[in-house]
Amino acid sequence: MRTKPTLAIPLRTFSFRHAMAGLPVAGLLLAALHGLPLLNLAANRLLPGDPVYASAFVNPSIGIVSILSIAASGFLVRTQRGIGGLLTSILFLAAWSVLLLGLGAQAAHLVTSQPPAASASLGSGFWIASVSLLVLTGISIGHTHRRCLGAIAAMCGLGLPMAAWHSGGLNHLSLAVEYAGRQAALHDAVVEHLLLSGGAVCLALFAAILLSLWRSGQSIVGLLVSGVQVIPAVALLGGLVALVSGLVRAVPALRDHGISALGPCPAVIGIAAYLLLPLWRGIGAALRSADPASIDVAEALGLTKFQILRDVRLPLGASVLVGSLRVAVVQSLGLATLGAIIGAGGLGRLVFDGMAQFASDLILIGAIPIIVMSLAAEWVLSAIEARCRLRWRA
Amino acid sequence: MRVRQHPALAVGLVGVALAAMSHPTAAAWIVGGFGEEPRRGLNPDRLLTLGIHHLSLSAVGLALVALLGLGLGILVTRAFAESVRGGVDGLAAAAQAVPPVVMVALALPILGFGGPPTLLALVAYGVMPVLRGTVSALESVSVEAREAAEALGFTKLQILLRVELPLAMPGLVDALRTAVVLAIATTAVGALAGASTLGTPIVAGLQNQNVLPMLQGVLATAALAFLCDAAMLALADLAPGGTAR
Repeated sequence: MRTKPTLAIPLRTFSFRHAMAGLPVAGLLLAALHGLPLLNLAANRLLPGDPVYASAFVNPSIGIVSILSIAASGFLVRTQRGIGGLLTSILFLAAWSVLLLGLGAQAAHLVTSQPPAASASLGSGFWIASVSLLVLTGISIGHTHRRCLGAIAAMCGLGLPMAAWHSGGLNHLSLAVEYAGRQAALHDAVVEHLLLSGGAVCLALFAAILLSLWRSGQSIVGLLVSGVQVIPAVALLGGLVALVSGLVRAVPALRDHGISALGPCPAVIGIAAYLLLPLWRGIGAALRSADPASIDVAEALGLTKFQILRDVRLPLGASVLVGSLRVAVVQSLGLATLGAIIGAGGLGRLVFDGMAQFASDLILIGAIPIIVMSLAAEWVLSAIEARCRLRWRA
Repeated sequence: MRVRQHPALAVGLVGVALAAMSHPTAAAWIVGGFGEEPRRGLNPDRLLTLGIHHLSLSAVGLALVALLGLGLGILVTRAFAESVRGGVDGLAAAAQAVPPVVMVALALPILGFGGPPTLLALVAYGVMPVLRGTVSALESVSVEAREAAEALGFTKLQILLRVELPLAMPGLVDALRTAVVLAIATTAVGALAGASTLGTPIVAGLQNQNVLPMLQGVLATAALAFLCDAAMLALADLAPGGTAR
């Protein structure tokens, strides 16, 4: 049985073999900076705006960004590994912060000469340029062969916009305006989102352990657990709402315990159902990863069953276990978004509100934390997975 | 042969049963069993239209996914493309970190309502599993088989078409099977962006607290997913050297 699609390690797999791969990306970056609208200026937040290109900028930021990126790309191709990669990654991050601040300044310039409701939103050129700069930074770090740099660069990548925002440099961008208006709601939504996905992971972990203990029924469990994967998430969540509402109607006492058809309860159950497969499979594979000879040795040494589990099977299977947890956590962070359609709250609510109002900034306010959280979870857990593999080499 | 067809048959039967349950009469009976007063459901014609829309949107997305995933997979396993391998892999993995709902939502302001944002999400989310499946299937072809073909004087293209692809076929079909299931699920999410799919009655039913059409949508979507999965399982059996499980 082939495993379901698992997330690879985005930040680790960015280690390109050749720095040459950076050249087309740098080309894309320059094309996006100069050929695509960097900002959109609209009379209010719901109207489609007029594009603002680099040529209309009153500050020299885009020129500086272009020069920095060209210089960094040159370094990337020409210099030795190690120090060259470090230098280029710093240059690319610097270019990104200049881009951010330059756009913030241009937005301030444009908006102040307009009626109060006017808003300047980030255009497609900015997004493509940002992704290109991110990829280029990744290539540079891959070039250095030092993985700890990745963490520092990621911190800078998150810290720079935060610092720029706190200094007030971005205050006139519509994304920052929207964020300022919804700070409290966003904070609540992030907490709800983490609770939803964390609750689902805990529930699924508990259920997967129970299912693994049922030795004789493993084939039935396998069929059921992989059958669930076939059901589309929208359908499963909807079905659970129908089921829970039926249950609550049949046993009204449940309502007193805070269980209702719409809300976090069916969402957590639904999300957990999808996590069963990776976790159950991971537990099984982890327990099997100790070879029979080691188990025989442990038995001969007189270890009890519990000691064998604790000292032999779990350490040897730790990396597999963490790997399955990584897949489950990332999946649950994504699925928790969908929980909002059945009233479970979370970041999905902001995303769906944004879709209903056709307000792209609101969608982004909800979407960016989801993406950042899944990448962070993916990255941290894959680092732990690698550490486990090194520590207890199977 | 009879034993091998078993999984496809069982999955298919589940699909047919779910489809039968999505019929308004059956669904109304189930909703009645929950103690709910059934309101007006969807008639079978409407359900069928939505199902056909759903299937065709998924099929277009799947065709693009298969083209891109298989193509890129074949490309990055060639010797000359060694250097871009990590890059393609990394980009596909990063695209996977964006959940389909979020992808649909992000595409909405750019591509508008309906089919296009759904298609984008389908492609962005589906390419990675097919790409990984293709790469691992092609890598599982033994070096001996490749060397034997080379010794026989096959050109590179002939090796690909007559040795590697046939030997990798079970893995490729398996990767596509995962992509089919993902495509059906992502298309259902597309209902949130206004695409008319089997997800539409679910979303509308949740908004109006109308359980009957919601349940019909739920059952029909699940039925479609199971039927497509069964079709792919059957296809895996037909493929040369195919052993579904």
